[in-house]
Amino acid sequence: MTTVRAGTVSSPGRDRQPLRDLGRWAFVAPVMFLNLVVIVGPAFFGVYIAFTDWSGVGEMNFVGLENFRNLLQDQVFWKALRNNLVWTAIFLVVPVVLGLLGAYMLTGIKRGQMFMRVAFFVPYVLPSVVTTHIWRYLMHPRVGLGQWLSDSFGINFLDRAWLGSRDTALYGIAFMDNWHFWGFPLVLLLAAMSAVDVELYEVARLDGASRFQQFRHVTLPSIRPTLVFLLLMISIWSALVFDYIFLTTGGGPANASEVMGTHLYTTAFERFKTGYAATIGLVMVLWVALVVGGFVYLRKRGWEI
Amino acid sequence: MFRRVLIVALLLSTLGVGAVGAQDGVTITWWTQSAAMPSNIQEVLVDAFNAAHPDITLEMTPQENLNETLRVAIQAGEAPDLLVTPGASFIAEFVDAGLVEPLDDAAAELGWADKILDWAYQSGQLGGVLYSIPLTYESLVLFYNKTVFEENGWDPPTSIDEFNAIAAAAEDIGIFPLAYGNATWQPSNEHLMGMYLNAFAGRENVYKALVGEIPWTHESIAGATDLLREHIADKGWFSGSLENYFANGGDDSRVELASGDAAMMLSGTWNFRGIGQFFEEAGTEWDWVPIPPMSDMAGEYGYELATGTTVSVNAQSPNKEAAIKALDFLISDPALVLQLAADVGFGEWVVPVHFGVDDFPEGTDERVVRFFSDFAAVTGEGRIGYTTWTFWPNDPNVHLWEAVENVWWGDISVEEYLEEHERLWQIERDAGNLLPVPAPAMGGY
Repeated sequence: MTTVRAGTVSSPGRDRQPLRDLGRWAFVAPVMFLNLVVIVGPAFFGVYIAFTDWSGVGEMNFVGLENFRNLLQDQVFWKALRNNLVWTAIFLVVPVVLGLLGAYMLTGIKRGQMFMRVAFFVPYVLPSVVTTHIWRYLMHPRVGLGQWLSDSFGINFLDRAWLGSRDTALYGIAFMDNWHFWGFPLVLLLAAMSAVDVELYEVARLDGASRFQQFRHVTLPSIRPTLVFLLLMISIWSALVFDYIFLTTGGGPANASEVMGTHLYTTAFERFKTGYAATIGLVMVLWVALVVGGFVYLRKRGWEI
Repeated sequence: MFRRVLIVALLLSTLGVGAVGAQDGVTITWWTQSAAMPSNIQEVLVDAFNAAHPDITLEMTPQENLNETLRVAIQAGEAPDLLVTPGASFIAEFVDAGLVEPLDDAAAELGWADKILDWAYQSGQLGGVLYSIPLTYESLVLFYNKTVFEENGWDPPTSIDEFNAIAAAAEDIGIFPLAYGNATWQPSNEHLMGMYLNAFAGRENVYKALVGEIPWTHESIAGATDLLREHIADKGWFSGSLENYFANGGDDSRVELASGDAAMMLSGTWNFRGIGQFFEEAGTEWDWVPIPPMSDMAGEYGYELATGTTVSVNAQSPNKEAAIKALDFLISDPALVLQLAADVGFGEWVVPVHFGVDDFPEGTDERVVRFFSDFAAVTGEGRIGYTTWTFWPNDPNVHLWEAVENVWWGDISVEEYLEEHERLWQIERDAGNLLPVPAPAMGGY
């Protein structure tokens, strides 16, 4: 009897393995090339110009860390960063809580659930330019909803220039963005809740669990991956927020609603300091990297997310 | 083999046809901002030019975000033959990058200095070299609700005292002295800053600050900044309060003025385009007067000079001569210019060429004709002012309209604001980035 040690005899299949690998790479190559050209290349270019004084056209001069030094002294940037943090805190709480509540309530509805899903989701698909236009008028101090409520019913606390006051401008925009956004978490969480095994609820009920206890001990653990994904995406999107603020206040009054995105835009396209704008962009990238890195770290630590 | 030869031959013949075609005529491209484009531009300018130049085809393409699109196209080497920018200050960096063709030779040969208004011609020069031609010019005036004025027996103000008296009277009858806001265009702040600088500090002081003879911290500049702060923040004259100003958009302001909720509006002549609609709907009448001088330093009233978009020839264009012909065609015919301008209510495409009252198309609003007529006479005497978007380099310009909000909210003092403004100007002076500034009539006040 002849014994052959594993791995010492080459089979025809093994001979073709490198060829197969090559074939796979060939299929992936166009996507990788595209990624290299439109993502990786511009990303490295963006990092490079953060170290230059480039205006956006013409030659660029290497200025070392000057842009980063200027960033540390840029009061508007720090205000913008703080506003991004406030924005993140608002969006990690308000639409998520509303979405959770709405989705949980909708799971108990059989008839008309689809209609409600669509109704809640419609604002999400409206273009931001439409949403901001409508809400700018609803929040207008002289022709808005607050003025109407005050004139018609004597309800005065809403009668103010929500977007015109620096005490309320950021929160006013966050409110209108929430109005548009909260249908997204609702639909996402509703889908996750629908996939929860109904037997778990039956067992919980048999054990005498209240509705809240069922939510706390059955629903939440079951939808945790979806919930964490949602929180992760909100944390990333909050760093990149731009359109709602740009279309309503432009970052004003007096930078009260300035975020990194609007500051970057003004710096690049109005002041023509593209190199410095790229530095602001790097901070936004760092934010996203920290969020994603934290997520990956927790997964590696065994968190079921 | 035969098939390969046939394919190569076909390709070569196609290339050959292309080359012959290119020799037959050239196509020049011109992108323009879609929102500002006259609806008759194809017929009045493009078709007329193409008919007059059978060897050249002019193609005009509207763009939604022209500035951003153009900057990207330039980097990619795909920019059109004619480069349109939002203003003279934008041209400077294109010139630095060698992207704009000097036009001095063409201008001398074609007599452009005689065709274009002198100050507008100068505004296209950098370091004494002509690089651009303004596609439109404008100024700032005081609009007022004529119906409200007549009902209350008020005359349009011609001095700061009369201005203050009307503001007080307006508040007495429960309306806002002035309508304005920056919700839809944050840089609207610079309209007001420009007006107050010229009307309070005076054209001579602003000119001196622009050319570096006095610092921006000068008491006349500080006085102008503080007067605007007082009117907008302390007194809430603009749409009732500082908060309302920040919540108001351009149309909100025009509605306030037309409906009689506000008596006056300090704004630009671009409002000629469309302001009538608001008054028609409200059943009221509008009119305008020059901005009244706001201090003894200002002297007699004047008009601020402002160019809007500019047009230049792309230095990388293979069709520079044809592009220059297109520019010459435009600026050589005042009737054509006025036809284009009339289509957009004289709010855009008022190319600064010499035209008289009789050149205006029939049916042009008398108030519009009155403005252009008076503007020509007054600025011809050197009674000129300076708009921030025409004579300020970019960085100080953005600071002017952005940081002034901090002054209005009381975050920083007028002095702190102007010190930073002066610092930014010094950087531009050191870098040699100053724009050409025509001198006003000096010592007249």
